[in-house]
Amino acid sequence: MLSEILIIVIRGIAIGSIFATIAMSFNIVHGATNIFNFAQGNMFILGGFAAYFLANGAGIGMWAMMLIVAGLAIAALVSFQGYITLLPLRSSVEQDSWLISTVSVSVIVGAILMITQGPFAYSVQSIAPSFRIFGTRTPGAYGLAIFAMIFWYVALRLFLKHTYSGLAISALSQDFDAARAAGLPVRRLQLLAFAISGLMVGSVGFLVAPVISVSPDAGLKYVLNGFVAAVVGGIGSNIGTLIGGPLVGVVAMLTAYKVGGAYQDVASLLVLVSILVFRPQGIFGRVTARRV
Amino acid sequence: MLEVRNIVAGYGTIPVLRDVSLKANAGEILLIGGENGAGKSTLLGTIAGFNKPDQGEILLDGKPIGGMAPEVVARSGLRLVLDGHRVFPELSVYDNLRLGAAAGGRQVFKRALEEIYDVFPVLKEKHRLYARDLSGGQQQMLALGQAFIAQPKVLLCDEPSMGLAQALLPPILSFLRRWAETGTAVIIVEQHLAVTSSYADQAMIIERGTVKFSCPASELEARLGAAASVG
Amino acid sequence: MTAASNTYPNAQQGETAKKARFNSDLTQVKIGLVLILLTGIGPVLAGNEYWIHTFQLVNIYIAASIFQNFLFIDAGQKSFGQGAILGLSAYGTAILFGLHGVPFVLAALGGIAAAALGGLLFALPALRVQGFHLGFVTMSAAIVFPQLLVTLDRWTNGINGISVRIPALMTPIAFGISPLALLVTIFPMLALIVHYLIRRSRLGRNMFVSSLSPEAARSLGIKPGLMRFAAFLIAAIGTGICGVLYLPVVAFVSPQGFNIELSFVFFFAVVVGGRGQMLGPIIGVAIIYVLPNVLLAQFVEYRLLMYGCLTMGAVMLFPDGIVGSIERLRSKKNHGGTGERAFRIDGFLAQLAGTGTAKEPTEEIAVEVRNGTKRFGAVVAVDGVNLKVRKGEIHGLIGANGSGKTSLLNVLTGLSRLNDGSFYINGVDTTDYPADKIANMQLGRTFQAPRIFSQMSLWDNLRLGLDARNGKGSDAIDALARAMETEFGHDRADLLSHGQRRLVEVMRTVLKESTIVLFDEPAAGLSKSERNNFADLVRFLSRQLGKTVILVEHDLDLVWGIADRITVLDQGRVVSSGNPEAVAKDAAVQHMFVGARHA
Repeated sequence: MLSEILIIVIRGIAIGSIFATIAMSFNIVHGATNIFNFAQGNMFILGGFAAYFLANGAGIGMWAMMLIVAGLAIAALVSFQGYITLLPLRSSVEQDSWLISTVSVSVIVGAILMITQGPFAYSVQSIAPSFRIFGTRTPGAYGLAIFAMIFWYVALRLFLKHTYSGLAISALSQDFDAARAAGLPVRRLQLLAFAISGLMVGSVGFLVAPVISVSPDAGLKYVLNGFVAAVVGGIGSNIGTLIGGPLVGVVAMLTAYKVGGAYQDVASLLVLVSILVFRPQGIFGRVTARRV
Repeated sequence: MLEVRNIVAGYGTIPVLRDVSLKANAGEILLIGGENGAGKSTLLGTIAGFNKPDQGEILLDGKPIGGMAPEVVARSGLRLVLDGHRVFPELSVYDNLRLGAAAGGRQVFKRALEEIYDVFPVLKEKHRLYARDLSGGQQQMLALGQAFIAQPKVLLCDEPSMGLAQALLPPILSFLRRWAETGTAVIIVEQHLAVTSSYADQAMIIERGTVKFSCPASELEARLGAAASVG
Repeated sequence: MTAASNTYPNAQQGETAKKARFNSDLTQVKIGLVLILLTGIGPVLAGNEYWIHTFQLVNIYIAASIFQNFLFIDAGQKSFGQGAILGLSAYGTAILFGLHGVPFVLAALGGIAAAALGGLLFALPALRVQGFHLGFVTMSAAIVFPQLLVTLDRWTNGINGISVRIPALMTPIAFGISPLALLVTIFPMLALIVHYLIRRSRLGRNMFVSSLSPEAARSLGIKPGLMRFAAFLIAAIGTGICGVLYLPVVAFVSPQGFNIELSFVFFFAVVVGGRGQMLGPIIGVAIIYVLPNVLLAQFVEYRLLMYGCLTMGAVMLFPDGIVGSIERLRSKKNHGGTGERAFRIDGFLAQLAGTGTAKEPTEEIAVEVRNGTKRFGAVVAVDGVNLKVRKGEIHGLIGANGSGKTSLLNVLTGLSRLNDGSFYINGVDTTDYPADKIANMQLGRTFQAPRIFSQMSLWDNLRLGLDARNGKGSDAIDALARAMETEFGHDRADLLSHGQRRLVEVMRTVLKESTIVLFDEPAAGLSKSERNNFADLVRFLSRQLGKTVILVEHDLDLVWGIADRITVLDQGRVVSSGNPEAVAKDAAVQHMFVGARHA
């Protein structure tokens, strides 16, 4: 009984790592542009489809090469999306047209997948062998999911703290005007942030394809859970996503186990609403001393 | 070096500046004074590209820069240091300086960094700390240092004294003085005219969005006294 | 007084040319009503069963999109989940009526109640967060809703759905028109009219201001949270009725009918048609729904792709939407509200001047701060301040940047709270009052950046003051309001000069009949002559109308010219206070100002 719970917790952490990575990909774009990319979930699923079409059953060498190809292709796609979203829009009505354009890109990607692939879930063979925890076989991709989260956390940290472009992207999120006054190439950095977010979700989608439902309508589930993870951790805080993601994953898994699989998303929604009502800045979000 | 001709500018449809002209020469400091709300910050913001002039011309080395994006203006050699000692709080002092070198190579950066560390040793001492952990005065030094690294042709400095103890102002001003003498055109916007004017070459007073008068900095005090007794 | 000597003709005499309407809302409503009537009754008269069914559904979607439009623009609430609200009501009705045999009318009420409950659930997070947060929450709800319908099969029949027949609604009563056909024609028309009427009402304006500038709303005595609740509730009830009508039209509910796609249809229809335009949802549904599902029915599997591409295309090419772009062209020709004469108040003031006698400040205390301290983190913005302002006086509050003037003003208007000390308005301890409650004690304020809303006509901008009045107003102000309505009813507010914007905000506080008025740097950005006019106006407010004025200002000439008393703040503390001559001589003050010009 106890070991059963433990297994569920470990699977939850693994699934939650996916949410955490998506949340980190939100953060980097949001920091640089103040945009939240609603299409991120479908970009993630594209990674899964890439794994199915390019590397299902392939050898390790081919698989690794395709991982890179898929990651770069999705990075290019997301930065193109970013380019369109950032095109200066003349609107007398509102400035938040990005909200509409990212939602419509999400719908477009989902629709293209639905038209070309049909409403089916594709299963992808795992490249990583399954391993045993407490006597239960655990798919290797769960390990990859956790690995990917840690990898991207470390990679982002190194990038944002130690490379010139990374520092500049951090600067954009800390003081946009001062960054412009300093002559930082704002638009190029913003596109870079989009590209990195695409690389993140594309590669993770590819890696975890064996344990997710690779289907045209699955993207929304991931964009939402990724968002919940980002909110729980505190928007903008990557270290927060390391807690927020696994937390959401574990809640979802425990809900599935105790209440029923259909209630996973309900549980995430409840987590989201309660965080927003009681602690909108998230666990690691800073309470700003600014006045209202 | 920098020439501004008859600009009209403001926020949205609200005009703040009306028909303002000025010239900043290489090697000189131009001091712009005037009360709060007179339009001084808007003037600097407009020159640096943060708002588009509705009318008029802004020329940098004879090339028009009016209406360009701020980052483009900065890269063509005009650097604005915003008021309120704004630095990137979550980056280290060293990284803040490093971001100053948006254009320019590694060698230029190294040399400029050495110079800045010489002028403000405290920045070298604290180069690993987060900028948010510096005092206001140190942050102002950092903001200026970041601009210095870029080696601009024109430096605009918005209220370097804001939020600083009076005693901190002279070292900052003498740094700007020496900087100007290397051939940079410097514009300082200030409310504390008495302290600042002795470091400047030219002075200009803005009132309610227009130029009230311009004069050599040495005559500023006399002119202000005259203006006060008349008006 | 200059104000009195300088009378300008008011609307009736001066204007001969008829101004173009500020917006085309009313025209759009009329066109919309005709279009809905056509889509509602047209197919019935044509007698084609397929078209009848299709356009009944179209009309329901139009109604739901109208409420989405209201919620999205008039109330500023970004909901991606209105499809779930419609589904709640449709399912609620179907369960009660179809599975439990409750009479249809009662079942429908139950369904609408379920939708209203859903709307209130959406409103709950909206109290804390706005923008994309709310978008994600409502979108999750829309995703979760069909999942729940499947899982809760004990009550919902799960994946099999519920079939319903309501013959009474289907039997033609005259000309082959059934009661149902009538209902689905009339309801969207009603929805359109309701949207129009709300927008024209005080409630609508309050909602709009709450979404554009919560702090301006609060300073007008409005509770933005309450407005959000009201908006979600109205939209949910309206959308709920759509859900009830959906049931007899489709005769079947199933979880797939209420997936996220439905919510997107409503949202996209609003965007493509034109955000905020009365006609927008009708045109939007025609393009987003009718085009792919009816005219291009052979490509029906491409419909989601078309939704997405049409919306993306609209955002890129027509950011104002189809109707919005046309409206833009039309309003370009409308130049009401420009130039020197766009907003003058001299004439109005002359009119008011006759109504009162000259007043002098009294010894009664209007505003008092006792030992007030306000901290932001480690920064002490207001530090042990004591301040007394007499009724009817003009009190200048001066000091350098960051000396705490605006912080004090925000405390006095309830936008922020004191950490220590207390303050009193007309003797009432208001230390812990929220901003709207303080505003309702006949206190008005202006902001450094005037809160003028370009989406509203000039008159509606002024009228916000009238809306915020407490109790029945005076006849003089009523007359003033009528004169202003005739003059500025169709003028635009976005072309006013900065000085005129300030005046509009000041007039708003006059129409509000505030007895205490706080000005936050009113003269910044004004020209010399505008400053003089402003000084006259402040004097007029105090001496003719007997108002108490607190003036935060940097222009010392202005302050010394009009203030009865002056308080000087430095680093959050009062360094000097008293009449202008005494303060000017105070040594603690002299060094603070350029050239010591007031010595």
